[in-house]
Amino acid sequence: MKASRMALRCAVGIAVAASTSLGGCASVGPRPWEHDLLAKRDMQLNANPNLTAFDEHIYFSKEGSSGGRTFDGGGCGCN
Amino acid sequence: MQLKRSSIGAALGALTANLLAATAAHAQTADTSVYQPDVNNDASDSDASGGGTDIGSGLARIDSAILFYQENGGRVRAVEPTSNVTLNASDGRVVSFRFTADTLTGATPNGAMPWNQNQTFTTPAHAPGTTTTVTSASGKAQLVTIPGTGTVVRQYTVPANQLPLDAFKDQRYAYDLGYSAPFGDGGRYSIGGSYSTEHDYTSYSVNGGVSQDFNHHNTTLSLALNYEADQSSPIFGTPSPLTQMSGDTKGPSRSKTVVNVVLGLTQAISRHWLTELNYSYGETSGYQTDPYRVISLVDGTTGAPVEYLYESRPSSRTRQSVFWDNRLALLSTFADISLRSYSDSWGIKSLTAEISDRIPLFGHFYIQPGVRYYHQTAADFYRHYLVSGNALPTYASSDGRLSNFNAQTNSLQLGLDFGHSEIYMRFENYSQHGQTHPAGAPGALAGENLSDAVSANSVMIGFSFAFR
Repeated sequence: MKASRMALRCAVGIAVAASTSLGGCASVGPRPWEHDLLAKRDMQLNANPNLTAFDEHIYFSKEGSSGGRTFDGGGCGCN
Repeated sequence: MQLKRSSIGAALGALTANLLAATAAHAQTADTSVYQPDVNNDASDSDASGGGTDIGSGLARIDSAILFYQENGGRVRAVEPTSNVTLNASDGRVVSFRFTADTLTGATPNGAMPWNQNQTFTTPAHAPGTTTTVTSASGKAQLVTIPGTGTVVRQYTVPANQLPLDAFKDQRYAYDLGYSAPFGDGGRYSIGGSYSTEHDYTSYSVNGGVSQDFNHHNTTLSLALNYEADQSSPIFGTPSPLTQMSGDTKGPSRSKTVVNVVLGLTQAISRHWLTELNYSYGETSGYQTDPYRVISLVDGTTGAPVEYLYESRPSSRTRQSVFWDNRLALLSTFADISLRSYSDSWGIKSLTAEISDRIPLFGHFYIQPGVRYYHQTAADFYRHYLVSGNALPTYASSDGRLSNFNAQTNSLQLGLDFGHSEIYMRFENYSQHGQTHPAGAPGALAGENLSDAVSANSVMIGFSFAFR
């Protein structure tokens, strides 16, 4: 299944990134003076609400699943 | 029809996304305002590198965009402008307002299977209690008087070997309002509401949430609750489930409610990695059947359609999902990697994986390629068709969105990021792959393509502008 393979690849990638990022750190999380990148708009989990809304619209309309990133949706008996 | 009603959910989701994003982002915002002198930024992370505007307090932001969506095969076409205004007060309060307008035209599957001869479908010609004639947007439907009764009905004919589609058009307007504010030491609450209206559907919702930062603002726990009340008023009235499609007047409007809880954990793993884990639980109660959709009742030997019955779905549905999202700043790029596992009481299980990477090229110009894979299993009551002579099930739907299928999205975004402002354009191709020739199809039905899978292209154009 393509989705499963993709999920596995993502998990491996994240694990590699985690080991790289955490190397040498005594605890999880950056120090207060290291929040510069995290403060960028592009580092926010919903960096572009308009595009997120458009995509959620399309997927909610055409697929049986909803929610996860946001509420389940609803407002529709079609899925 | 389908898209227009479901778009309400998208609007609700957008509001929630804003609220949760505001909540999750707050830890970073608060920290930034205290700890982030420019001296701590190295040159490669400056705005000019494509990193985007800092989300500092005191800024107002206007985000406007428009979606052009077109399905292949002359199906649904949508034009959807939207505008969002967010006001960030210097004390941490955030107010956001979103307005969305949808214009939908085209045609959508009516649920019947293709057949090797023309198929004619009959619907009422008037809305209940009125004499106003309802005609097809495409003009292909005709008003016909039933001989001997004088009853006027609407009929449309689908050519042989084609997926039966019914034309429609609609206009939707949605309004979302959200407010959040800090409290205590690292706490934040949010409230919001939404209203969406179409000529055959109305939705209201209210939501609230709280979050708390820990660990020097590196960890945020959040809890959000949404309550939604919907009213479905089909233009021909609400048909009784599994009764024959006809031009007879149908029943009154129906309603449903949705309650949804999202529990979230956001963690700054490092300077370069922000991760979020959400668990979502939702219950829907009330009318969830598609009042416009039918299912073919076919001859068990020849496969020929005998009747078309209005579909039937359960009145309760429970959904659960786990969603894991990651933002990674690697080299000078910003990547987003997410996974979602979903299941519901209708028997649908799905897995979604999505990745995109924003890559600055030169000057303010960036590109952002992305790909998304999706797989779902079928609902327990999904049927391509029902066989005449067999006992009717309690629930049955041929809606492809309840079927077993895979989908892939490929996207490419181009943009100019000037720091406090940005313009962008995204191209997307979405393609579903369903079961075209299910085993056991009787007679000539085995030779027909029974999948109503969708392929669509989208263009999204927008700008974002922040100011004090």
